[in-house]
Amino acid sequence: MNVLRFELKKAFQSPVVSILIMLFLFFNFWLIYKHAGIREELKVTNQLVERFGYKIDSEMSAKLQDYYQSKLQKMNKLTNEKFGKTYERAGDFFAEYEHRNKELSEEELHVITETAIVESYYELIQKIDQTYRHLDLSQNAKMDIKGYGLSGKTAEVTREYYIKLKNRLDELIEAGEHKNLFFIGYVYHMHSFLFKDLMRQMIFEVMILVVLITGHVTTYEFQNQTCLTVYASKRGRKLMLDKLVANLFASLCICAVILGATLLVYFLVFDYSGLWGIPISSFFNSEFSFPYISWWKLPFGIYLSCVLVVFIICQLFFTVITYSIAVWIKNNYLVYAVFAILFGFCVLIPGIIPKNLTAIFWTRYTPFSLILNPHLWFIGWNVFTPKKYEWTTTVIWTCLLAIATVVTFLKFNKEQID
Amino acid sequence: MLVVNHVSKSYGKFEALKDINLEFSNGVYGLLAPNGAGKTTLIKMLTTLIFPSSGEILYNGTNIARLGEKYRELLGYLPQDFGYYKNYSPRQFLSYLGALKGMDKKVVNKRMDELLKLVALEDVATKKMKKFSGGMIQRVGIAQAMLNDPKILILDEPTAGLDPKERVRFRNLLSELARDRIVILSTHIVSDVESIANEIIMIKDKQVLYKGSIDEICKKIAGMVYETSIPYEQANMFKKEVFSLSEKQEDGLLKIRFISKKTPEPTWTAVKPNLEDVFLYVYRDDIQESGAS
Ligand SMILES: Nc1ncnc2c1ncn2[C@@H]1O[C@H](COP(=O)(O)OP(=O)(O)OP(=O)(O)O)[C@@H](O)[C@H]1O
Ligand SMILES: [Mg+2]
Repeated sequence: MNVLRFELKKAFQSPVVSILIMLFLFFNFWLIYKHAGIREELKVTNQLVERFGYKIDSEMSAKLQDYYQSKLQKMNKLTNEKFGKTYERAGDFFAEYEHRNKELSEEELHVITETAIVESYYELIQKIDQTYRHLDLSQNAKMDIKGYGLSGKTAEVTREYYIKLKNRLDELIEAGEHKNLFFIGYVYHMHSFLFKDLMRQMIFEVMILVVLITGHVTTYEFQNQTCLTVYASKRGRKLMLDKLVANLFASLCICAVILGATLLVYFLVFDYSGLWGIPISSFFNSEFSFPYISWWKLPFGIYLSCVLVVFIICQLFFTVITYSIAVWIKNNYLVYAVFAILFGFCVLIPGIIPKNLTAIFWTRYTPFSLILNPHLWFIGWNVFTPKKYEWTTTVIWTCLLAIATVVTFLKFNKEQID
Repeated sequence: MLVVNHVSKSYGKFEALKDINLEFSNGVYGLLAPNGAGKTTLIKMLTTLIFPSSGEILYNGTNIARLGEKYRELLGYLPQDFGYYKNYSPRQFLSYLGALKGMDKKVVNKRMDELLKLVALEDVATKKMKKFSGGMIQRVGIAQAMLNDPKILILDEPTAGLDPKERVRFRNLLSELARDRIVILSTHIVSDVESIANEIIMIKDKQVLYKGSIDEICKKIAGMVYETSIPYEQANMFKKEVFSLSEKQEDGLLKIRFISKKTPEPTWTAVKPNLEDVFLYVYRDDIQESGAS
């Protein structure tokens, strides 16, 4: 316990770590700040949910229509006074009078904007059934096969994949999982923003820190030439075990700091109150013509938790990978280089494999490939995001790294320390 | 009792030590050999940092590799190149090593105070070590080795970098310590071990050449060491016939100490051999070679 404290101290004493943490947090806050302009508009969603609930059914739809009509009336009264004109749709105002915005007070503009947003919800709700009716997954299969140049066995896998996804989609539609309000994905892209831009940025930030710290702590005695003194002490080579524990703990701390601070600010800026229970497969969450279809029914809160769990597990993987490299190599700069090469290698491999070999699928079961698309975790998006992709990768790499760690220990126990 | 049993050590194809047999019980052992003889190699094997290529090292009858923690718990070790954390103070560094030695925090603090005083570092105990001189670092190393009150204290060239005053202090300290423990120190400086070692171990050609008390070892060349004074002109001729140990100027003559197996001449005075004479004589080839190269 005592030793662990000293090892942890080594992890955080380096000024580079503190500076990087500050810098990364600044990047994250900056990214959030840049996106924060839509903050007020998003609040309309919370208001609607508060008023009508997020479940979309005919009753709710009717209520929303009434609400929309009253809003539109209010707005028309306002525009009539100001410009002597009324509108059939709030959207028309913006199409026509973009330049007149300045003639309105902030409050007046807000009324119109709000009406336009409610209008979008109202109109989009009418389109849900039609949109889902027109989804043809066999078409997606064809596009994947053509787009990625798949053939033979891999083409077959793709067709099977979309049959599976179709089943899930039918189930989802049956259960009405898609008929829920959420921030309008087409307009605000909140899913991409949170899970792609921000989450991926954080994944790389934490990865850099974790690799840096683990390489540093693990090679510390060899870099400072204290290896003779330290490994001849009572604790001896078991110190490497303490270092592993300290590294894992330090990684968790880094995750906590970066994720904690960034998400705290994120959820302070963007109000998700009332939305935590909304399934991620909601029609309103979709940002493209093809919606996000999660493989299981995952409410936003649960989905976020799952993403965070995978996030942390991946970082622990990176810790153990770096650690194993470091025990063998003993020079922290070389360790960083080897990790970078390994990363590049694992990401490039799937791309250079002939497209008719199923290896293009299973070579993606690495944490390095996994972290590239955090916004598609647990989601059936294309043939490369199969069901259980995340968990399978996790289980495989837990086993692989457990073996690697044991081998590393055995090797280090027999190693000559010069 | 620590026993080295038929131990050999090779680095790849290079054999550093061959069939070493030694026994250590309480007392000071001086491992005396020139550079590259294998002192550090032997010591690293005694501290389980490297492993013998063949043979075994036993402590009270059990292989030290098997004893593991139980053996290292008794160990105090100062490596030849003592590394330290530049941004730590001696106190912080000793606390860390105390933790690694499995010591209780309170005990560490108490021992630390005593030891830092003993090595005359109490004034700088909380200063960062990056500003320390080489001798100060070496003293931190000595303190560190003695932190856990080891039963087996192994010091690899402990006096390197110490000034004469500290050297004397250190020597006195060791002879006191050695009453109830094994102290092994390696050195190529004869005077370090001359006054305190109960037993000297000399390694030559990868093997133990001599092992015994200083008197026993000096007897190996008893009756062969002489001193005489000669004019400078004859010096070169003379040195071809005898093995010169030391020379110095005295009253316009060259006073020379040497070894000769021939019947002594009347101008030669027989003197009592000392350890340095043995060292110089035993390693004469090594020394001449390294002097020539
Ligand atoms: N890791 C190693 N790999 C290969 N050869 C080595 C290694 N360590 C030591 N040697 C060789 O083994 C021999 C003995 O080295 P060692 O360090 O034990 O000598 P030493 O007696 O401690 O010398 P010094 O007085 O200079 O400290 C040397 O010839 C050295 O070159
Ligand atoms: Mg040495």
